[in-house]
Amino acid sequence: MLIELKNIVKNYDNGGIITRVLHGVNLGVEDGEFIAIIGPSGSGKSTLMHTIGFLDRPTEGDYLFNGENTKDFTDDELARIRNERIGFVFQSFNLLPRTTVLDNVMLPLFYSTNKKGHEHKAKVALEAVGLGDRLQFMSNQISGGQKQRVAIARALVCDPKVIFADEPTGNLDSKSGSTVMHILEKLNKEGRTIILVTHDMNVALHAKRIVTIRDGEIVKDQPIPESERVHSKAVSD
Amino acid sequence: MSNPYFKQAIRGVKSNPSRTFLTTLGIMIGIGTVILVLGAGEGFKSYINAQVDAFGSNIIIAQTSLPPSTKARSSTNSSSSSHPNSSASNAIPITTLKMHDVEDIKNIPNVKNAYGASIGQQVVTYKNTSKTTLIFGSSFARFDIDKGVIANGRGFSDQEDKGLAQVAVLGDKIATDLFADENPVGKFVRVGNYNFEVIGVYEKKSSLDPTNDGTQIVIPVTTLQKKIQGIDYLIYTVIQLEDNSKADVTSLDVVDVLRRNHYISDPAKDDFKVQTQKESLSTFDTILQAITFLLIAIASISLIVGGVGVMNIMYVIVTERIGEIGLKKALGARNKDILYEFLIEAIILTLIGGVVGIIGGALGAFAISKIAQGFGLTWKFIVPLWGIILSVSVSAIIGIVFGVFPARNAAKLNPIEALNKE
Repeated sequence: MLIELKNIVKNYDNGGIITRVLHGVNLGVEDGEFIAIIGPSGSGKSTLMHTIGFLDRPTEGDYLFNGENTKDFTDDELARIRNERIGFVFQSFNLLPRTTVLDNVMLPLFYSTNKKGHEHKAKVALEAVGLGDRLQFMSNQISGGQKQRVAIARALVCDPKVIFADEPTGNLDSKSGSTVMHILEKLNKEGRTIILVTHDMNVALHAKRIVTIRDGEIVKDQPIPESERVHSKAVSD
Repeated sequence: MSNPYFKQAIRGVKSNPSRTFLTTLGIMIGIGTVILVLGAGEGFKSYINAQVDAFGSNIIIAQTSLPPSTKARSSTNSSSSSHPNSSASNAIPITTLKMHDVEDIKNIPNVKNAYGASIGQQVVTYKNTSKTTLIFGSSFARFDIDKGVIANGRGFSDQEDKGLAQVAVLGDKIATDLFADENPVGKFVRVGNYNFEVIGVYEKKSSLDPTNDGTQIVIPVTTLQKKIQGIDYLIYTVIQLEDNSKADVTSLDVVDVLRRNHYISDPAKDDFKVQTQKESLSTFDTILQAITFLLIAIASISLIVGGVGVMNIMYVIVTERIGEIGLKKALGARNKDILYEFLIEAIILTLIGGVVGIIGGALGAFAISKIAQGFGLTWKFIVPLWGIILSVSVSAIIGIVFGVFPARNAAKLNPIEALNKE
């Protein structure tokens, strides 16, 4: 088991008023899975993703990553996991402004312990998302779909086990969204674990398993038969 | 600039050039002032050194002086005097320094030559023009020792000195004041009740003796003493050395001779003061250092204000880049990575200010040197290397000191809160 959540509780303390966002979540994710977490806004799906992605610590419960309990990990150890094991793709791309595509993709490598071959790795990652010819473009000179592909290349560059995608198509038109989903599917076929957070069922149906969350609890967790899955094609833009 | 921290920090600095300029302005002004003060100080020092060189650097001066033991008493009597223990400016004259002291000093090894001198103030008249000026009575050796060049005519001889000759050498300024376009040599001026023949005129600014500003008249010391002042003592003696490196030893020898001649056994009762040029220079240096220190202390206020400005802007920058910080943390940046990035950005900001300030201050010091040279002063343009190194270090330290709090704030941000604010 790659990811194992046991009774995860997350409270937010808002000036003395405590809001419970996750009410004892149990979830297991195997290596190589493609799962979609869906739910309406305010359901706690983003909090769940942030917790799984080590961006936030749970208030209670245990989180086993690759069999290791991460409860007592230091901030630096969590940073290292985020750097080496996890790649993030966000809804709003979050590229550095005034920076080339290549430098954006190289950014995670700055923080890695591996100090060699940064440029080569970044180029390989950009080739994988079909942007090998856009290396020296500034991040504001490319289209939204291309930005999200740069973000995927950035998530890939440290060769992570898991890719978290938080509404990756939310800010994209359908063509660009289709290309992005196609790339995520391809990455999953190559053996990477994909965890997708979305409120859009059409997007979620790309996954092999859909976890539905409502009011901080998992209400449904079902595999998607191959016949019901949606597959996207790359669309040139 | 392969260092990622540098790369990130420089990207930040470049993102808003006008803000970067305004942020660093305080540091620029502070560092610029420091460099300007140091440069001007060094230039002034070069000017003084040139003065001393012109006067003769291989010189010791022995002058009459109230004994230190009576200093306290006398200073209450003449508290306004700038030299409380110098007899030249004191109501109590010291009458012990005589011409035979000068002769004995001449016999000290390493002493090449010496002359005795007295000073009096007199009205000097030529035709209808009168001037009150200082009359320097000197033995003839003055013309060998002093670097002053007589442009027109000659100096007086030993015979003329001993023979109480009424001859005078004029400074260039008094010569012009009295004679206008006439050639003074061969004419007579009236000093006190006597007519003196002008036998020479100094070259313009020839002697850079601080007491010689072109308005002085030099006459034989014996003539001044016997005919005008009615005294037999000297106010000072100028001693020329063979080897200036032994100035300290020789000055002790001079002290010995004077103590023996004046029957003084207790140094506290010395009625003279012996000063090498080195000592005069070090006195001057001390004063200059004090002034420099004061000015730098004032400039430091600007540096602190500049530092606070940098801190202020760094807080703004941290707030502006909360989303970026969140992203970097999500991509694996550790707290210390973020800390270093912001700290280096703050240091780069202050270093830019420092470097621009150094260039500006050096340009200012250069302008001052050009202006001084325009007035005919020997003024070198020097910006001391240690001043530059100090300024660069100080600006880097300001960057660290004033950058560390905003940088720590940035580093401590929770990645998810930071991402959500985007």
